[in-house]
Amino acid sequence: MRQYGTKRAARSFNPPKLNITSMMDMFTIILIFLLFSFSSKPEITGLEKNMELPQSTAKSDLQETIKLILSRSTLKMEDEVIAEISKGTIVGLDPENLKSSELFQGLAQRAASKTEHGTEPAEPAPILLLCDRRLPFKTINQITKTAALAGYPNFQFAVLKK
Amino acid sequence: MSGLRKRKPRAEADGDVDMVPIMNMFLVLVPFLLMSASFLHIKAINTSVPVLGSVSSEHPVEAEVKAIVVVELKERAISLSLNADALKPETALGWSREFLKKGDDPFPFSMLANHLEEIKSAYPASDTLIIVPHGDVLYDTIIETMDVARYRQAETKLFPNVVISGKIE
Repeated sequence: MRQYGTKRAARSFNPPKLNITSMMDMFTIILIFLLFSFSSKPEITGLEKNMELPQSTAKSDLQETIKLILSRSTLKMEDEVIAEISKGTIVGLDPENLKSSELFQGLAQRAASKTEHGTEPAEPAPILLLCDRRLPFKTINQITKTAALAGYPNFQFAVLKK
Repeated sequence: MSGLRKRKPRAEADGDVDMVPIMNMFLVLVPFLLMSASFLHIKAINTSVPVLGSVSSEHPVEAEVKAIVVVELKERAISLSLNADALKPETALGWSREFLKKGDDPFPFSMLANHLEEIKSAYPASDTLIIVPHGDVLYDTIIETMDVARYRQAETKLFPNVVISGKIE
């Protein structure tokens, strides 16, 4: 009698059917959104948390090139800190002798290695400059002047899309 | 007949699409795309600094005058002047303007934009603008000036070649 009851209970148990249609819809929407925002552009790393980029209507894409990050406290070349910023001036960058700076030497070295390998095009590649929007021009000017002196007169100013 | 009736519901059950493999694929794709997605839309403004170059001795035709606009960003004003070998000094001087900043208001960029548009319509071949900011002018202001100088309403090209230069003291 007991055996019969158990069998009947087992037979009458229907596992609940999971309706995954709505979940599929959700995943499809997420997938499409992510596919649209998928980016094959060069990744920007090394940005400090408190750094603020200016906003602009510019539409040009970034190029894979030498990256300089100028925040309110440090100057980085390719994620490596090469100088500190104190009161708007770059420590170790003498305006009278720009060639003695680490920035100039680093850039000149890159320019020389490209010339050696014959990979340097007729027009020098631009430098991607990511700079905090609250910095004064006198700080940025030291960098642009040094870079131009090292053979890089063209720049790409990184901005946030308005 | 009775046999057919019994078989029918089984055939319907077999017709259900098995969504589990698709779900599995989605579960793999979503984290992968989330990791590679870029939510920070960074764009670039192409610019350059002045370098030494050769001076052209050719005198262009009047209709193709290539004027170079110089915009000086001062602490409390925007000063504009025109530079063109083909123009008479008094003609170039006639285009000079100074837009003063009122109190703590932002720089008068709309007035600058209107004047740049006038210069562009007078000399359509011109495409270069030099920005000369003073030392204490913020980077944000320079970028805003570049936006005003490059395009009008983000569509009409004004002076796409923007050069940034420090003031020679």
